[in-house]
Amino acid sequence: MSAPVPPPPPPAPPATPPRDGPHLPAPLLSLGDLSVRFGDRPALSGVTLDIPPGRIVAVIGPSGCGKTTLLRALNRMNEMIPGARTSGSLLFDGTELYRRETDPAEVRRRIGMVFQEAALFPGSVFDNVAFGPRASGFGGDLHALAEEVLTAAGLWAELGENLDVPAASLSAGQRQQLCIARALAVRPQVLLLDEPTTALDPTATARIESLMHAQLPHLTIVIATNDLRLAARASNLTAFLDRGELVEYGPTETLFTNPAHPHTESYLTGRIP
Amino acid sequence: MKRFRHHGPVSAAGSVAASVTLATAMTLIAILLVEARGVLDFGFLLGTPSRFAAQAGIGPALAGTLWLTLLTAALACPVGVGAAVYFEEYAPRTRAMLAIESAVANLAGVPPLVFGVAGLALFVRGLGLGSTVLAGGLTLAMLALPTVLVTSKDAIRQVPPGVRAAAYALGATRWEVIRRQVLPAAAPGIVTGLTLALARAAGAAAPLLVIGAASFITYAPGTPGDPLTSLPTQVFAWSAPSQPGFTALAAGAGVVLLALLLVLHLAGLALRRRLAGAAP
Repeated sequence: MSAPVPPPPPPAPPATPPRDGPHLPAPLLSLGDLSVRFGDRPALSGVTLDIPPGRIVAVIGPSGCGKTTLLRALNRMNEMIPGARTSGSLLFDGTELYRRETDPAEVRRRIGMVFQEAALFPGSVFDNVAFGPRASGFGGDLHALAEEVLTAAGLWAELGENLDVPAASLSAGQRQQLCIARALAVRPQVLLLDEPTTALDPTATARIESLMHAQLPHLTIVIATNDLRLAARASNLTAFLDRGELVEYGPTETLFTNPAHPHTESYLTGRIP
Repeated sequence: MKRFRHHGPVSAAGSVAASVTLATAMTLIAILLVEARGVLDFGFLLGTPSRFAAQAGIGPALAGTLWLTLLTAALACPVGVGAAVYFEEYAPRTRAMLAIESAVANLAGVPPLVFGVAGLALFVRGLGLGSTVLAGGLTLAMLALPTVLVTSKDAIRQVPPGVRAAAYALGATRWEVIRRQVLPAAAPGIVTGLTLALARAAGAAAPLLVIGAASFITYAPGTPGDPLTSLPTQVFAWSAPSQPGFTALAAGAGVVLLALLLVLHLAGLALRRRLAGAAP
Protein backbone atom coordinates (compact mmCIF):
# COMPACT_ATOMS: atom_id res chain seq x y z
CA MET A 1 0.00 0.00 0.00
CA SER A 2 1.47 3.30 -0.98
CA ALA A 3 0.92 6.11 1.42
CA PRO A 4 -0.65 9.11 -0.22
CA VAL A 5 2.12 11.42 -1.18
CA PRO A 6 1.73 14.62 0.73
CA PRO A 7 1.39 17.59 -1.56
CA PRO A 8 4.62 19.49 -1.81
CA PRO A 9 4.66 21.60 1.28
CA PRO A 10 3.89 25.12 0.25
CA PRO A 11 7.06 27.10 0.69
CA ALA A 12 6.82 27.55 4.39
CA PRO A 13 6.70 31.10 5.46
CA PRO A 14 9.07 31.16 8.36
CA ALA A 15 7.22 29.85 11.37
CA THR A 16 7.15 32.65 13.84
CA PRO A 17 9.99 31.74 16.13
CA PRO A 18 8.80 32.43 19.63
CA ARG A 19 12.32 33.30 20.75
CA ASP A 20 12.01 36.43 18.63
CA GLY A 21 9.59 37.77 21.16
CA PRO A 22 11.59 39.76 23.64
CA HIS A 23 9.47 38.48 26.52
CA LEU A 24 9.99 34.76 25.93
CA PRO A 25 12.54 32.98 28.09
CA ALA A 26 15.04 30.42 26.78
CA PRO A 27 13.33 27.27 25.56
CA LEU A 28 12.79 24.35 27.93
CA LEU A 29 12.22 21.94 25.07
CA SER A 30 13.84 22.44 21.73
CA LEU A 31 12.94 20.25 18.78
CA GLY A 32 15.41 20.20 15.90
CA ASP A 33 14.29 18.57 12.68
CA LEU A 34 12.46 15.91 14.69
CA SER A 35 11.00 13.13 12.54
CA VAL A 36 9.17 9.92 13.42
CA ARG A 37 8.47 7.00 11.12
CA PHE A 38 6.36 3.93 11.81
CA GLY A 39 7.93 1.34 9.55
CA ASP A 40 7.75 2.95 6.11
CA ARG A 41 5.14 5.48 7.05
CA PRO A 42 6.36 8.93 8.05
CA ALA A 43 4.23 10.30 10.88
CA LEU A 44 6.19 13.42 11.71
CA SER A 45 8.54 15.15 9.29
CA GLY A 46 11.27 17.48 10.36
CA VAL A 47 9.56 19.48 13.07
CA THR A 48 11.62 22.33 14.49
CA LEU A 49 10.20 24.42 17.29
CA ASP A 50 11.00 25.76 20.75
CA ILE A 51 8.81 25.43 23.80
CA PRO A 52 9.41 28.05 26.47
CA PRO A 53 8.98 27.13 30.13
CA GLY A 54 5.84 27.96 32.06
CA ARG A 55 3.63 28.27 29.01
CA ILE A 56 0.78 26.33 27.52
CA VAL A 57 1.45 25.26 23.97
CA ALA A 58 -1.48 23.96 21.92
CA VAL A 59 -0.93 21.58 19.03
CA ILE A 60 -3.77 21.65 16.54
CA GLY A 61 -4.41 20.07 13.17
CA PRO A 62 -6.70 17.59 11.45
CA SER A 63 -6.99 14.01 12.70
CA GLY A 64 -3.98 11.94 11.77
CA CYS A 65 -1.76 14.99 11.27
CA GLY A 66 0.75 13.80 13.83
CA LYS A 67 -0.36 15.65 16.98
CA THR A 68 -0.24 12.53 19.12
CA THR A 69 3.03 11.38 17.53
CA LEU A 70 4.57 14.77 18.26
CA LEU A 71 3.51 14.60 21.91
CA ARG A 72 4.69 11.03 22.30
CA ALA A 73 8.00 11.98 20.72
CA LEU A 74 8.57 14.51 23.49
CA ASN A 75 8.81 11.86 26.22
CA ARG A 76 9.95 8.93 24.12
CA MET A 77 6.62 7.10 24.30
CA ASN A 78 6.82 6.24 20.60
CA GLU A 79 9.42 3.65 21.53
CA MET A 80 6.59 1.52 22.89
CA ILE A 81 5.32 1.09 19.33
CA PRO A 82 7.13 -1.65 17.39
CA GLY A 83 8.75 -0.29 14.24
CA ALA A 84 8.85 3.33 15.38
CA ARG A 85 12.01 5.25 14.52
CA THR A 86 12.83 8.76 15.61
CA SER A 87 15.48 11.04 14.16
CA GLY A 88 16.53 14.61 14.77
CA SER A 89 17.21 16.20 18.08
CA LEU A 90 15.21 16.97 21.17
CA LEU A 91 16.86 19.15 23.76
CA PHE A 92 15.36 19.33 27.23
CA ASP A 93 16.95 22.03 29.31
CA GLY A 94 19.97 21.70 27.05
CA THR A 95 20.26 17.91 27.30
CA GLU A 96 19.66 15.68 24.30
CA LEU A 97 16.89 13.23 25.20
CA TYR A 98 17.41 10.91 22.24
CA ARG A 99 20.79 9.66 23.32
CA ARG A 100 21.37 6.00 23.87
CA GLU A 101 22.44 6.51 27.45
CA THR A 102 19.37 8.54 28.40
CA ASP A 103 16.99 6.50 30.54
CA PRO A 104 13.51 6.75 28.98
CA ALA A 105 11.88 6.17 32.39
CA GLU A 106 13.73 9.20 33.74
CA VAL A 107 12.63 11.25 30.71
CA ARG A 108 9.01 10.32 31.43
CA ARG A 109 9.35 11.31 35.07
CA ARG A 110 10.38 14.79 33.94
CA ILE A 111 7.94 14.94 31.04
CA GLY A 112 4.65 13.35 32.05
CA MET A 113 1.76 12.46 29.81
CA VAL A 114 -2.02 12.13 29.99
CA PHE A 115 -3.87 10.31 27.24
CA GLN A 116 -7.17 10.89 25.54
CA GLU A 117 -8.71 7.82 27.10
CA ALA A 118 -8.35 7.90 30.85
CA ALA A 119 -6.90 4.45 31.50
CA LEU A 120 -7.19 4.13 35.24
CA PHE A 121 -5.37 1.53 37.25
CA PRO A 122 -7.51 -0.95 39.15
CA GLY A 123 -8.06 -0.08 42.79
CA SER A 124 -8.67 3.16 44.59
CA VAL A 125 -7.95 6.77 43.81
CA PHE A 126 -4.97 6.47 46.14
CA ASP A 127 -3.63 3.43 44.28
CA ASN A 128 -3.74 5.46 41.09
CA VAL A 129 -1.95 8.46 42.51
CA ALA A 130 0.62 6.41 44.41
CA PHE A 131 1.77 4.28 41.48
CA GLY A 132 4.06 6.85 39.86
CA PRO A 133 5.79 8.05 43.04
CA ARG A 134 6.23 4.47 44.27
CA ALA A 135 7.68 3.37 40.95
CA SER A 136 10.23 6.15 41.11
CA GLY A 137 11.17 5.40 44.70
CA PHE A 138 9.38 8.28 46.45
CA GLY A 139 10.17 8.04 50.14
CA GLY A 140 7.93 10.76 51.59
CA ASP A 141 4.35 10.90 52.79
CA LEU A 142 2.26 9.46 49.97
CA HIS A 143 -1.02 10.50 51.56
CA ALA A 144 0.03 14.12 51.83
CA LEU A 145 1.26 14.03 48.24
CA ALA A 146 -2.00 12.48 47.06
CA GLU A 147 -4.03 15.11 48.87
CA GLU A 148 -1.92 17.85 47.33
CA VAL A 149 -2.18 16.69 43.73
CA LEU A 150 -5.86 15.82 44.01
CA THR A 151 -6.48 19.32 45.34
CA ALA A 152 -4.53 20.73 42.41
CA ALA A 153 -6.64 18.67 40.04
CA GLY A 154 -9.83 19.94 41.69
CA LEU A 155 -10.85 16.49 42.84
CA TRP A 156 -10.07 16.45 46.55
CA ALA A 157 -13.28 18.12 47.76
CA GLU A 158 -15.39 16.17 45.27
CA LEU A 159 -14.08 12.89 46.61
CA GLY A 160 -15.16 13.96 50.08
CA GLU A 161 -11.50 14.04 51.02
CA ASN A 162 -11.46 10.29 50.78
CA LEU A 163 -8.58 8.52 49.05
CA ASP A 164 -10.21 5.10 49.20
CA VAL A 165 -12.91 5.85 46.63
CA PRO A 166 -12.72 3.17 43.91
CA ALA A 167 -11.29 4.78 40.78
CA ALA A 168 -13.86 2.93 38.67
CA SER A 169 -16.70 4.85 40.33
CA LEU A 170 -15.58 8.25 38.99
CA SER A 171 -17.29 10.13 36.15
CA ALA A 172 -15.52 10.65 32.81
CA GLY A 173 -14.42 14.15 33.78
CA GLN A 174 -13.24 13.03 37.19
CA ARG A 175 -11.29 10.20 35.62
CA GLN A 176 -9.40 12.63 33.45
CA GLN A 177 -8.80 14.85 36.48
CA LEU A 178 -7.45 11.80 38.31
CA CYS A 179 -5.15 11.04 35.38
CA ILE A 180 -3.79 14.56 35.61
CA ALA A 181 -3.40 14.32 39.40
CA ARG A 182 -1.62 11.00 38.93
CA ALA A 183 0.77 12.60 36.44
CA LEU A 184 1.37 15.59 38.73
CA ALA A 185 2.29 13.26 41.60
CA VAL A 186 5.57 12.43 39.85
CA ARG A 187 6.31 16.20 39.83
CA PRO A 188 7.12 16.55 36.15
CA GLN A 189 8.47 19.77 34.65
CA VAL A 190 6.45 19.29 31.50
CA LEU A 191 2.98 17.78 31.14
CA LEU A 192 1.80 16.47 27.78
CA LEU A 193 -1.97 16.32 27.42
CA ASP A 194 -3.18 14.34 24.43
CA GLU A 195 -6.73 15.45 23.63
CA PRO A 196 -7.67 15.32 27.30
CA THR A 197 -11.08 16.90 26.80
CA THR A 198 -12.31 15.07 23.70
CA ALA A 199 -14.60 12.81 25.71
CA LEU A 200 -15.69 15.50 28.13
CA ASP A 201 -18.64 17.86 28.34
CA PRO A 202 -18.06 21.64 28.45
CA THR A 203 -18.19 21.84 32.24
CA ALA A 204 -15.56 19.17 32.67
CA THR A 205 -13.50 20.77 29.91
CA ALA A 206 -13.62 24.10 31.73
CA ARG A 207 -12.34 22.39 34.85
CA ILE A 208 -9.40 20.83 33.06
CA GLU A 209 -8.69 24.23 31.56
CA SER A 210 -8.64 26.00 34.89
CA LEU A 211 -6.49 23.36 36.51
CA MET A 212 -3.99 23.73 33.68
CA HIS A 213 -3.77 27.43 34.36
CA ALA A 214 -3.40 26.84 38.08
CA GLN A 215 -0.24 24.82 37.44
CA LEU A 216 1.55 27.69 35.70
CA PRO A 217 4.26 28.92 35.82
CA HIS A 218 5.90 25.91 37.49
CA LEU A 219 4.70 23.53 34.84
CA THR A 220 5.02 23.68 31.08
CA ILE A 221 2.05 22.19 29.26
CA VAL A 222 1.78 20.91 25.72
CA ILE A 223 -1.77 20.06 24.78
CA ALA A 224 -2.90 18.38 21.57
CA THR A 225 -6.51 19.17 20.87
CA ASN A 226 -9.20 19.21 18.22
CA ASP A 227 -11.07 21.82 20.22
CA LEU A 228 -9.97 25.04 18.50
CA ARG A 229 -11.83 27.20 20.99
CA LEU A 230 -10.02 25.53 23.85
CA ALA A 231 -6.70 26.08 22.08
CA ALA A 232 -7.54 29.72 21.41
CA ARG A 233 -8.68 30.37 24.98
CA ALA A 234 -6.16 28.44 26.97
CA SER A 235 -2.81 28.46 25.21
CA ASN A 236 0.01 30.97 24.92
CA LEU A 237 1.45 29.46 21.77
CA THR A 238 -0.10 27.34 19.07
CA ALA A 239 1.44 24.96 16.57
CA PHE A 240 -0.53 23.94 13.50
CA LEU A 241 0.43 20.55 12.10
CA ASP A 242 -0.72 19.02 8.86
CA ARG A 243 0.33 15.66 7.40
CA GLY A 244 3.20 15.38 9.81
CA GLU A 245 4.64 18.79 9.05
CA LEU A 246 4.67 21.92 11.09
CA VAL A 247 2.83 24.51 9.06
CA GLU A 248 2.85 27.38 11.47
CA TYR A 249 3.87 28.07 15.05
CA GLY A 250 3.53 31.25 16.99
CA PRO A 251 1.69 33.18 19.67
CA THR A 252 -1.86 31.88 19.85
CA GLU A 253 -3.47 35.26 19.33
CA THR A 254 -1.46 35.96 16.19
CA LEU A 255 -2.04 32.50 14.78
CA PHE A 256 -5.77 32.64 15.31
CA THR A 257 -6.38 36.24 14.25
CA ASN A 258 -3.73 36.75 11.63
CA PRO A 259 -2.31 33.44 10.44
CA ALA A 260 0.77 33.80 8.32
CA HIS A 261 0.00 30.74 6.24
CA PRO A 262 -3.06 30.43 4.00
CA HIS A 263 -3.32 26.76 4.93
CA THR A 264 -3.65 27.66 8.60
CA GLU A 265 -6.38 30.11 7.79
CA SER A 266 -8.37 27.60 5.77
CA TYR A 267 -8.10 25.05 8.60
CA LEU A 268 -9.17 27.57 11.22
CA THR A 269 -12.14 28.66 9.16
CA GLY A 270 -13.15 25.08 8.43
CA ARG A 271 -12.38 25.28 4.72
CA ILE A 272 -9.93 22.43 4.66
CA PRO A 273 -9.53 20.99 1.15
CA MET B 1 -45.44 -11.72 26.88
CA LYS B 2 -44.14 -14.26 24.47
CA ARG B 3 -40.85 -12.60 23.62
CA PHE B 4 -39.38 -13.41 26.98
CA ARG B 5 -40.19 -17.09 26.67
CA HIS B 6 -39.12 -17.60 23.10
CA HIS B 7 -36.37 -20.17 22.81
CA GLY B 8 -34.98 -21.26 19.46
CA PRO B 9 -33.85 -24.76 18.51
CA VAL B 10 -30.26 -23.88 19.34
CA SER B 11 -31.24 -22.99 22.86
CA ALA B 12 -33.22 -26.25 23.20
CA ALA B 13 -30.31 -28.33 21.92
CA GLY B 14 -28.03 -26.46 24.30
CA SER B 15 -30.13 -27.25 27.32
CA VAL B 16 -30.31 -30.93 26.32
CA ALA B 17 -26.53 -31.00 25.96
CA ALA B 18 -26.10 -29.33 29.34
CA SER B 19 -28.47 -31.84 30.97
CA VAL B 20 -26.61 -34.78 29.45
CA THR B 21 -23.29 -33.41 30.71
CA LEU B 22 -24.66 -32.85 34.18
CA ALA B 23 -26.32 -36.27 34.27
CA THR B 24 -23.08 -37.97 33.21
CA ALA B 25 -21.14 -36.29 35.98
CA MET B 26 -23.82 -37.06 38.57
CA THR B 27 -23.98 -40.73 37.47
CA LEU B 28 -20.21 -41.03 37.71
CA ILE B 29 -20.16 -39.67 41.24
CA ALA B 30 -23.17 -41.78 42.24
CA ILE B 31 -21.54 -44.98 40.96
CA LEU B 32 -18.31 -44.16 42.78
CA LEU B 33 -20.18 -43.49 46.02
CA VAL B 34 -22.22 -46.69 45.75
CA GLU B 35 -19.13 -48.75 44.95
CA ALA B 36 -17.22 -47.18 47.81
CA ARG B 37 -19.97 -47.61 50.41
CA GLY B 38 -18.71 -48.90 53.70
CA VAL B 39 -15.11 -48.21 52.77
CA LEU B 40 -14.71 -44.54 53.60
CA ASP B 41 -13.64 -44.13 57.21
CA PHE B 42 -10.64 -42.82 59.09
CA GLY B 43 -8.93 -46.20 59.03
CA PHE B 44 -9.13 -46.13 55.22
CA LEU B 45 -7.84 -42.57 54.97
CA LEU B 46 -4.90 -43.08 57.29
CA GLY B 47 -4.21 -46.80 56.87
CA THR B 48 -1.57 -48.41 54.70
CA PRO B 49 -2.00 -50.84 51.79
CA SER B 50 -2.49 -54.40 52.85
CA ARG B 51 -2.94 -57.82 51.28
CA PHE B 52 -6.28 -57.91 53.03
CA ALA B 53 -8.86 -55.61 51.52
CA ALA B 54 -10.56 -55.06 54.86
CA GLN B 55 -7.40 -53.63 56.39
CA ALA B 56 -6.07 -51.64 53.43
CA GLY B 57 -5.87 -47.83 53.47
CA ILE B 58 -4.70 -44.96 51.34
CA GLY B 59 -2.51 -43.08 53.82
CA PRO B 60 0.71 -43.24 51.79
CA ALA B 61 -1.09 -42.59 48.49
CA LEU B 62 -2.91 -39.57 49.94
CA ALA B 63 0.31 -38.15 51.37
CA GLY B 64 2.03 -38.84 48.05
CA THR B 65 -0.58 -36.94 46.08
CA LEU B 66 -0.45 -34.00 48.50
CA TRP B 67 3.34 -33.91 48.11
CA LEU B 68 3.14 -34.20 44.33
CA THR B 69 0.58 -31.38 44.05
CA LEU B 70 2.66 -29.14 46.29
CA LEU B 71 5.87 -29.86 44.34
CA THR B 72 4.14 -29.38 41.00
CA ALA B 73 2.74 -26.02 42.12
CA ALA B 74 6.08 -24.90 43.53
CA LEU B 75 7.90 -25.79 40.31
CA ALA B 76 5.39 -25.05 37.55
CA CYS B 77 4.04 -21.77 38.95
CA PRO B 78 7.24 -19.68 39.02
CA VAL B 79 8.65 -21.19 35.85
CA GLY B 80 5.37 -21.02 33.91
CA VAL B 81 4.45 -17.49 34.98
CA GLY B 82 8.04 -16.33 34.52
CA ALA B 83 8.17 -17.71 31.00
CA ALA B 84 4.81 -16.12 30.22
CA VAL B 85 6.10 -12.72 31.40
CA TYR B 86 9.20 -13.19 29.27
CA PHE B 87 7.26 -14.13 26.14
CA GLU B 88 4.70 -11.34 26.53
CA GLU B 89 6.83 -8.49 27.85
CA TYR B 90 10.46 -9.05 26.90
CA ALA B 91 10.90 -11.48 24.01
CA PRO B 92 11.48 -9.92 20.59
CA ARG B 93 8.61 -10.59 18.20
CA THR B 94 10.69 -12.57 15.77
CA ARG B 95 9.55 -15.50 13.69
CA ALA B 96 11.76 -17.89 15.65
CA MET B 97 10.29 -16.67 18.95
CA LEU B 98 6.73 -17.13 17.70
CA ALA B 99 7.65 -20.67 16.56
CA ILE B 100 9.02 -21.47 20.02
CA GLU B 101 5.89 -20.06 21.64
CA SER B 102 3.55 -22.15 19.54
CA ALA B 103 5.68 -25.26 20.08
CA VAL B 104 5.46 -24.77 23.84
CA ALA B 105 1.72 -24.16 23.60
CA ASN B 106 1.31 -27.42 21.67
CA LEU B 107 2.95 -29.31 24.53
CA ALA B 108 -0.28 -28.69 26.44
CA GLY B 109 -1.92 -31.25 24.15
CA VAL B 110 0.72 -33.95 24.51
CA PRO B 111 -0.61 -37.09 26.28
CA PRO B 112 0.50 -37.30 29.94
CA LEU B 113 1.96 -40.74 29.25
CA VAL B 114 4.60 -39.17 27.02
CA PHE B 115 5.68 -36.90 29.86
CA GLY B 116 6.17 -40.05 31.92
CA VAL B 117 8.57 -41.44 29.31
CA ALA B 118 10.49 -38.16 29.32
CA GLY B 119 10.48 -38.06 33.13
CA LEU B 120 11.81 -41.62 33.31
CA ALA B 121 14.74 -40.76 31.05
CA LEU B 122 15.40 -37.32 32.53
CA PHE B 123 14.79 -37.51 36.24
CA VAL B 124 14.63 -41.18 37.28
CA ARG B 125 17.66 -42.29 35.26
CA GLY B 126 19.33 -39.09 33.99
CA LEU B 127 19.49 -37.32 37.32
CA GLY B 128 19.50 -40.62 39.15
CA LEU B 129 16.59 -39.63 41.38
CA GLY B 130 15.01 -43.07 41.17
CA SER B 131 11.27 -43.60 41.54
CA THR B 132 10.89 -40.92 44.20
CA VAL B 133 8.29 -38.31 45.04
CA LEU B 134 10.71 -35.67 43.72
CA ALA B 135 11.02 -37.40 40.33
CA GLY B 136 7.21 -37.59 40.24
CA GLY B 137 6.86 -33.92 41.13
CA LEU B 138 9.31 -32.90 38.42
CA THR B 139 7.50 -35.03 35.84
CA LEU B 140 4.09 -33.62 36.78
CA ALA B 141 5.54 -30.10 36.75
CA MET B 142 6.60 -30.71 33.13
CA LEU B 143 3.06 -31.83 32.44
CA ALA B 144 1.54 -28.76 34.08
CA LEU B 145 4.00 -26.22 32.69
CA PRO B 146 2.55 -25.72 29.18
CA THR B 147 -0.95 -25.15 30.57
CA VAL B 148 0.31 -22.67 33.16
CA LEU B 149 2.32 -20.88 30.47
CA VAL B 150 -0.48 -20.64 27.93
CA THR B 151 -3.13 -19.46 30.39
CA SER B 152 -0.73 -16.99 32.05
CA LYS B 153 0.23 -15.57 28.67
CA ASP B 154 -3.45 -15.08 27.84
CA ALA B 155 -4.11 -13.44 31.19
CA ILE B 156 -1.15 -11.08 30.71
CA ARG B 157 -2.29 -10.22 27.21
CA GLN B 158 -5.73 -9.27 28.56
CA VAL B 159 -4.28 -6.37 30.55
CA PRO B 160 -5.49 -3.27 28.67
CA PRO B 161 -2.71 -1.60 26.64
CA GLY B 162 -3.86 1.76 28.00
CA VAL B 163 -2.93 0.69 31.52
CA ARG B 164 0.57 -0.25 30.37
CA ALA B 165 1.01 3.00 28.43
CA ALA B 166 -0.22 5.05 31.39
CA ALA B 167 2.19 3.27 33.71
CA TYR B 168 5.15 3.83 31.39
CA ALA B 169 4.15 7.46 30.92
CA LEU B 170 4.45 7.91 34.69
CA GLY B 171 8.13 7.06 34.46
CA ALA B 172 7.89 3.46 35.61
CA THR B 173 10.50 0.98 34.45
CA ARG B 174 9.44 -2.17 32.67
CA TRP B 175 9.82 -4.23 35.81
CA GLU B 176 7.73 -1.78 37.86
CA VAL B 177 5.00 -1.91 35.25
CA ILE B 178 5.03 -5.71 35.29
CA ARG B 179 5.23 -6.02 39.05
CA ARG B 180 2.70 -3.36 40.04
CA GLN B 181 0.22 -3.37 37.15
CA VAL B 182 0.49 -6.31 34.77
CA LEU B 183 0.87 -9.17 37.24
CA PRO B 184 -1.78 -7.98 39.73
CA ALA B 185 -4.25 -7.44 36.88
CA ALA B 186 -3.44 -10.83 35.37
CA ALA B 187 -3.38 -12.69 38.69
CA PRO B 188 -6.99 -13.98 38.66
CA GLY B 189 -6.50 -15.46 35.19
CA ILE B 190 -3.16 -16.95 36.19
CA VAL B 191 -4.76 -18.61 39.22
CA THR B 192 -7.47 -20.14 37.03
CA GLY B 193 -4.85 -21.64 34.72
CA LEU B 194 -2.79 -22.85 37.64
CA THR B 195 -5.82 -24.59 39.17
CA LEU B 196 -6.62 -26.37 35.91
CA ALA B 197 -3.03 -27.44 35.40
CA LEU B 198 -2.69 -28.71 38.96
CA ALA B 199 -5.94 -30.64 38.73
CA ARG B 200 -4.73 -32.28 35.54
CA ALA B 201 -1.40 -33.15 37.15
CA ALA B 202 -2.90 -34.40 40.43
CA GLY B 203 -5.23 -36.74 38.58
CA ALA B 204 -2.63 -38.16 36.19
CA ALA B 205 -1.74 -41.81 36.76
CA ALA B 206 -0.02 -42.72 33.49
CA PRO B 207 3.20 -40.69 33.82
CA LEU B 208 3.68 -41.84 37.40
CA LEU B 209 3.20 -45.49 36.44
CA VAL B 210 5.83 -45.06 33.73
CA ILE B 211 8.35 -43.62 36.16
CA GLY B 212 7.67 -46.45 38.60
CA ALA B 213 5.11 -45.45 41.22
CA ALA B 214 4.64 -48.13 43.86
CA SER B 215 1.25 -49.35 44.98
CA PHE B 216 2.37 -51.16 48.08
CA ILE B 217 4.19 -48.77 50.32
CA THR B 218 3.53 -49.16 54.00
CA TYR B 219 4.62 -45.73 55.17
CA ALA B 220 3.60 -42.28 54.03
CA PRO B 221 6.31 -40.36 52.15
CA GLY B 222 7.74 -37.77 54.53
CA THR B 223 10.28 -36.16 52.23
CA PRO B 224 10.57 -35.72 48.44
CA GLY B 225 13.27 -38.40 48.47
CA ASP B 226 10.86 -41.13 49.62
CA PRO B 227 9.44 -43.75 47.22
CA LEU B 228 6.74 -42.51 44.88
CA THR B 229 3.10 -43.36 45.42
CA SER B 230 -0.12 -41.49 44.65
CA LEU B 231 -3.91 -41.75 44.67
CA PRO B 232 -4.38 -42.19 40.89
CA THR B 233 -1.79 -44.98 40.71
CA GLN B 234 -3.33 -46.60 43.78
CA VAL B 235 -6.75 -46.53 42.11
CA PHE B 236 -5.17 -48.13 39.06
CA ALA B 237 -3.48 -50.86 41.09
CA TRP B 238 -6.64 -51.72 43.02
CA SER B 239 -8.80 -51.87 39.92
CA ALA B 240 -6.67 -54.56 38.30
CA PRO B 241 -8.66 -57.75 37.46
CA SER B 242 -6.31 -59.80 39.63
CA GLN B 243 -7.54 -57.86 42.68
CA PRO B 244 -11.30 -58.54 42.67
CA GLY B 245 -11.73 -57.79 46.35
CA PHE B 246 -10.25 -54.34 46.03
CA THR B 247 -12.76 -52.71 43.65
CA ALA B 248 -14.51 -50.94 46.49
CA LEU B 249 -11.17 -49.62 47.71
CA ALA B 250 -10.41 -48.29 44.23
CA ALA B 251 -13.76 -46.49 44.25
CA GLY B 252 -13.04 -45.14 47.73
CA ALA B 253 -9.66 -43.80 46.67
CA GLY B 254 -11.38 -42.29 43.62
CA VAL B 255 -13.87 -40.49 45.86
CA VAL B 256 -11.03 -39.11 47.99
CA LEU B 257 -9.21 -37.95 44.83
CA LEU B 258 -12.35 -36.19 43.59
CA ALA B 259 -12.83 -34.54 46.97
CA LEU B 260 -9.23 -33.34 46.84
CA LEU B 261 -9.74 -31.86 43.37
CA LEU B 262 -12.92 -30.16 44.57
CA VAL B 263 -10.98 -28.57 47.43
CA LEU B 264 -8.33 -27.46 44.94
CA HIS B 265 -10.94 -25.82 42.71
CA LEU B 266 -12.65 -24.11 45.64
CA ALA B 267 -9.30 -22.81 46.89
CA GLY B 268 -8.54 -21.52 43.39
CA LEU B 269 -11.93 -19.85 43.22
CA ALA B 270 -11.49 -18.20 46.61
CA LEU B 271 -8.00 -16.98 45.72
CA ARG B 272 -9.27 -15.66 42.39
CA ARG B 273 -12.06 -13.74 44.12
CA ARG B 274 -9.60 -12.25 46.54
CA LEU B 275 -7.16 -11.22 43.83
CA ALA B 276 -9.87 -9.78 41.61
CA GLY B 277 -11.22 -7.66 44.46
CA ALA B 278 -7.88 -6.59 45.88
CA ALA B 279 -6.10 -3.40 44.97
CA PRO B 280 -2.72 -3.89 43.34
